[in-house]
Order: sequence, then structure tokens, then C-alpha cells
Amino acid sequence: MSIFRLGDQKPPEPQRVTDVVVTRFEHVFEVDPELMTLTGQQELPAWDTKRIVDSRWDHLDWMHDHFADDVLLAGEESETMPPAERAMPSEEEADPRPVPGDTDGVGWIERPAVDPPDVREP
Amino acid sequence: MSVAFKSAVDDSVVDELRAIIPDEGRVLPNLSSRVNRTRVPAPFPVHRWAEFMPDVAVLPTSAEEVSEVVKLANRLQIPVVPRAGGTGLSDGAVPLRGGILVDVKLMNEIHEIDLVDRTVTVGPGINMLKLNEELKRHGVFYPDDPASYPCSLVGGRIGTGGWSLIGSRFGHTRDNVISMQVVLPTGEIVEIAEGGGRKLRKSSTGLTLKHLFTGHQGTLGITTEATLDLVPRPEVEFAAFFAFDDYMKAYETTGVLAKSGLATLAGVVLFDEWKIAYLRRDDEAYIPQPASVKAVVAVAMYGSRVEVEPASKRVMQLGRSLGGKYLGDEISAGDWASRHDRYATPLHGRDKDGQAVMMSWHCEDAALNYSVLPQVREEWHAIVARYRERYGIFDDWGMFAYTNGAFKPWADYLVEIDVGIWESRLDDENWAGWVACKREISEVTLKYGGSITACHGATREGDAELVPAEMGSSWEVVKRIKRALDPNNIMNPGKQSLDEAYASGNGSAP
Repeated sequence: MSIFRLGDQKPPEPQRVTDVVVTRFEHVFEVDPELMTLTGQQELPAWDTKRIVDSRWDHLDWMHDHFADDVLLAGEESETMPPAERAMPSEEEADPRPVPGDTDGVGWIERPAVDPPDVREP
Repeated sequence: MSVAFKSAVDDSVVDELRAIIPDEGRVLPNLSSRVNRTRVPAPFPVHRWAEFMPDVAVLPTSAEEVSEVVKLANRLQIPVVPRAGGTGLSDGAVPLRGGILVDVKLMNEIHEIDLVDRTVTVGPGINMLKLNEELKRHGVFYPDDPASYPCSLVGGRIGTGGWSLIGSRFGHTRDNVISMQVVLPTGEIVEIAEGGGRKLRKSSTGLTLKHLFTGHQGTLGITTEATLDLVPRPEVEFAAFFAFDDYMKAYETTGVLAKSGLATLAGVVLFDEWKIAYLRRDDEAYIPQPASVKAVVAVAMYGSRVEVEPASKRVMQLGRSLGGKYLGDEISAGDWASRHDRYATPLHGRDKDGQAVMMSWHCEDAALNYSVLPQVREEWHAIVARYRERYGIFDDWGMFAYTNGAFKPWADYLVEIDVGIWESRLDDENWAGWVACKREISEVTLKYGGSITACHGATREGDAELVPAEMGSSWEVVKRIKRALDPNNIMNPGKQSLDEAYASGNGSAP
């Protein structure tokens, strides 16, 4: 069981990546706050940043699944990036996700029951 | 606050609508229901919102209800505007003259799945993602894949004549709709197909009406049911992204890949230097890329493993043949998955000082031949740069060119320049500036023998007025068809310059 410590939720100071982008977590990028004077920024606790990043990967996996049974990869790493920059957050690094029936999780919406369509089988 | 009716809709019309649709919750003259059915995601003159509101929205659940609503509208000469997901990137679903907005979202049933003759029959309000969730259990797939895949609806795709990300492999919307039921502007319910036969993919009987009722932007009727083609669910997908240090190398590689003849090729897309510069400031896949990355070519394939696996090796070879560098498995698979859902992308751009501001997304699209892509790219960017400098509310988000031909992707491309627009700064002067910018872009398209839209429809200021020029000698035929089917010009009036079909020339019926 992990213990929630409020102090751990304060994001670290940003590191500069490019002249217009900073980072506070590995592979998570932000517009340079200096360029956000006209658009209000929300302060995000660390857990919320992680939730958003994890959700993005969930979403991409879910989207893949809509179009094919399997994703075929070339099995090759980037030829443009140095090795240290290649890694991105993986599914393995994420915390367990809520599953159907997991009422303690962030919430799972069951699909409402609908009448099945007529199906003409071969 | 009350907003006056703009058309002939009044309380007695609302009463008649309630007699046709005996459910108070499905006849909606209240302000919020109308406000929420006014705009689409495309940039919108927010300072003139009320001007584009419908007078009343209705949510029918059957073709018979749609028919009676349209008959009423035709009798009283009230505009009718069909609306499905409201996700269009032009103004197809935006009422220009008030009237009755027919929202088809409740017509979202799957009527029949035929696994013998390989069709699915649906209402126009169903979404492709939800449809495919049902089809998955049967091992089949409806292959219409817009960048709004999770939120656009079948009816809107038919009305728009939608373009699909995987159209090079499976065809676009018009290729995947086999037949449909349509309510004409005079209220008759008709069956539209290639000839006769609801489930036949090819016929030579009579006139091929199916294409006429695909992509008319709601100006010829309302689709109330569609029978769609089913394909075997792909076993695998494969995507590969290649980086280039020079646009022309990427352009030539795009041509090589598109002409490869690989049958499982679903699409090839070329991102130019402006697009990469835009992604480099806001997209996690591109921010860390070295400065040498100037252009990117992406390829996607779908099919059975025995076909895609060897073809993928050929793609890797061709992608590198002119100096392309593979961006890696994670970016290739991840970025490709995100292409199905561009509406989830937060939209912000930069003002002239580099400050981040919330912007709406305008994709000016065109169909253009491969040979003219480099020159059009230069002229389009020059136009946007000039307007950005003058008005300060536009941001150039770059261009892409995407294989456009269904099943035969080698010669023409859907080309888009994405322009961010700072909507909260819009006033009459800035809006006029945007319309002028859009018109100049479209004029370049016509100069190079292109079509001013491959995908979104020519329904808004800045390109609607160019439709007659593009149609040329066939424009007279178009006007005759419109006049014959819609004698009172009630069906989505004001779109695509079709008002010219009527004697008065201002859209009034003769």
C-alpha cells in the first residue's frame, strides 16, 4: 500500500528543454511559463500529471484496439534520438488501473444494456 | 433573454412540430438547445452567434417523423438544417437563416448486421466507434475513419462526403455506403442506391444516385438510414514514421511509398517544415527531436498478418531509400493511434510575441495532384504569414499532404494547412480578414487545378462563393438538380452558392 504524502505532490522545479518548452517530469513537457502570461495556468499536483499521462497511454491503446487485433512493430528504435531520450512512459511503469467492479478506483462506467441488433449468421 | 425567430417559425409552427413529434423533450425551442446547435468546431464568428442560431431544434426518432417535419417546412417555406455530430470543419451543419434544425442523434440504432451479405444497416445518429465496438464481436469492421472517429456520426459523414484516414486501403465514406434511405426536401421518403437493391455494391441500372446523395452538405435531403459495407476486421496494423532533413526528400519518398502498389497500404502522409515546427513546440513526440528533423513521412497499413508483415519490411526499405530515418516504434505506433482522434488535442497557438493563446482550429483543405504540392505549399504559407502579420490573431500550424485516392493512392492528395485562430479577438474586421485569407488559399488551389475541398465541404464564406468557378460548365447541371429536388430552397439554404439555382438569385424560391 502506498502512502499519500501531500509534500510529495508538489511538482519539482522545471528544467529547460528548448527555448519554448520546460519539463518537470521525465518525458512530460510544458509550455515555458514565461509564454503563458495571456493564458491562465492551473497548478497540477504530481498525481494529477501522472493521471493525465497514464490516461493518454490508455487512450492510445484503446484506440489501437478499435482498428486491429494486434499492432505490428518494426522492432527498431529511433534513428533520430540519442538512446537516453528514446524511452517514454510505458504501460509497465503505470500503477494498476481500475477495472469493472473496482468501485474504489477513479470510477468505471459500465456500458448500459441495449437490445442487441438482428444478426444474420452465415 | 429571448431571441427572435429568424424564419417563419412561430408558436403555431412549434405546436405543429409537437403534433408530429409528440414528446416535449424532442421539440426544443428553448434558447440553450438552440445555442448548443449553432456552431461546429471550425472557427466561428463568435461575436455574431445569435445570427446563426436555429429557431427550433427537433430530435426525430424515425424517417416518418423526419418526413412530416420536412413536409411542414416545405409547406411554410421554413429552412431545414440537418445536423448529426456537429463535428464538421466547415459550416455544413450551421444554420445560415434560422429555421428548423433536425438533429438525428437519437436515430442511432443498429437495425441489422448481415454477416452473410456483409452489410450493417444503421440509423444516421450512430458513431463509428460505437458501431465498431458492436461489430468487433462478429469479426467485421466498418472502415470509415475520420480524425473525429470517436465523435462524428454516420449521417454527418454521408452528408459531408467524408474522407477517411484509411481510405487508400478501404475507401472513403461514399465507397463504404451501399445504399440509404433519404427524406427529400419535399418530404418523400426514398431509397437511394447504385441502382436498385439495398445491399448491392455495383449496378448499371438507371442513374447512379448514391453519389448525388453523398456529400451534398445537407442541401438535397436528410439520410434516415444507411446500409454500410463490412470488411474483415484487420488482424494487424503497422505504422512507420520517417524523419527527413529536407522537405523535397520527404516529398519524393511520399511519392515512392504511395506508388509502391502494396495492397494493404492505408495511407501515406507528409508533414512539412511548418508542421514540424508547430509540433516541436507542443507535441511530446517531436519536442525532443533534433533540429535536423525538418519533415516527416508517415505510413499506415492494415490487413491480415501474412500480407502486412512482409509489406512492412518493404515499407521500411522504401521509407529509408532517400535518406529517411525511422522515428522508432513508440512514436510510430503512438502517433498513428492519436491520428484517429485529433479532436482530443488541446488547441493553442502563439501570438506574434510568442505568447500561448487559446485558438480554434481551421483546416483549410483541398484536393491537389502530387506534382503541384511543393509550389502550393510555398504559396499557402506566404498567404498565412501575410495575414498573421497584419491581424495578429492567426498562427500557421503547418501543412500535411495525405494520399487521397480510394484504393489507388498514387496521384492525388488531401492537402491541409492548419491555421490557429484567436477566436476571442474576433470582430467584424478580423473575421473579414480571415475570410479573405481563406479565399486566397482557395484561389491558389484552383490556380493549380485542384478542388477547394477534399474532405470538409465548401459551405462557408471564403470558399462557398468559389464553388461555381470550380464546377465550371457543370454548374448549370448542379443548379437544375437542386431546383428540381428542392423547389422552395428550404434544405440548408445559403450553402455552396446554391441560391444561384433560384430565379431571384438571393435564395428566395421562385
